[in-house]
Amino acid sequence: MLTCKEQVARSSDYLDDQLSFGEKWMVRHHLMFCPNCRRFIRQMRLMQGTLKAMPEKPEDGVDALAERLAAQRRDDSP
Amino acid sequence: MAADDTQLLARLLAGEQQAFKELVTTYQSAMRAVAYAIVGQRHVEEVVQDAWLSVVRHIASFEGRSSLKTWLLTITANSAKSRYKQNRREVLMDDLPSPHGTIDDDRFSPGDGHWLVAPFAWHQDTPEALLTEGELRDCLEHTLLSLSELQSSVLLLRERQGLELEEICNLLEISLSNVRVLLHRARLKVFATVEHFEETGEC
Repeated sequence: MLTCKEQVARSSDYLDDQLSFGEKWMVRHHLMFCPNCRRFIRQMRLMQGTLKAMPEKPEDGVDALAERLAAQRRDDSP
Repeated sequence: MAADDTQLLARLLAGEQQAFKELVTTYQSAMRAVAYAIVGQRHVEEVVQDAWLSVVRHIASFEGRSSLKTWLLTITANSAKSRYKQNRREVLMDDLPSPHGTIDDDRFSPGDGHWLVAPFAWHQDTPEALLTEGELRDCLEHTLLSLSELQSSVLLLRERQGLELEEICNLLEISLSNVRVLLHRARLKVFATVEHFEETGEC
């Protein structure tokens, strides 16, 4: 059986589906019996969702850039 | 080609300004993350400008064998690499200290590998609820800035831009095992920041 420390070391690979079948099974088995590690994985997922949901900084100068690019494209096309 | 890409492509080819605006708004932050990983903060803007010019120049030959996004990011990576071929940096696997540390060996019993200090239960259980705490956002930004350029790029490309690990490897020309290590270290630091904030209410 994996230790908690070993489970944490494999957690990103588990979340990214990078583990072999056997290793994935070992992580699942550990999680089944370990509430602390279940909480850890749940909160890792929550952290991932939070990074995704963070508002982007607004882009400056988008209109000017779009105008330049569109003009360039019209010049290029026959 | 995906239907969205096909429609947008037709409008781009017609030189429609609004279509270019959509393209910039949707993809520029991902392009920036790729450039940041390869050339570092100082040269990001030049590389992104180069990439846009190259995109316009070659848009007529885009054949849709990849998604528009992958194509844009590949052009960005190529712009970054060609511009800085001479002084292209080594893949630095440096692990810089982060404001709230990480989940390191001290958290576990040296004897049996169990948690010594169990993960603190966060008060919120959705990203939206966590982010209503404005200070946490600032706190996360601060932690992201503390990561190495490569570490934060890999994290952002994965978590925010939703790239597959293989795509990240190809764009940045780093091995899968390096991507996995960079990603894991970055996540543990961000995890430690959220945990610290949830536990203390402070950044």
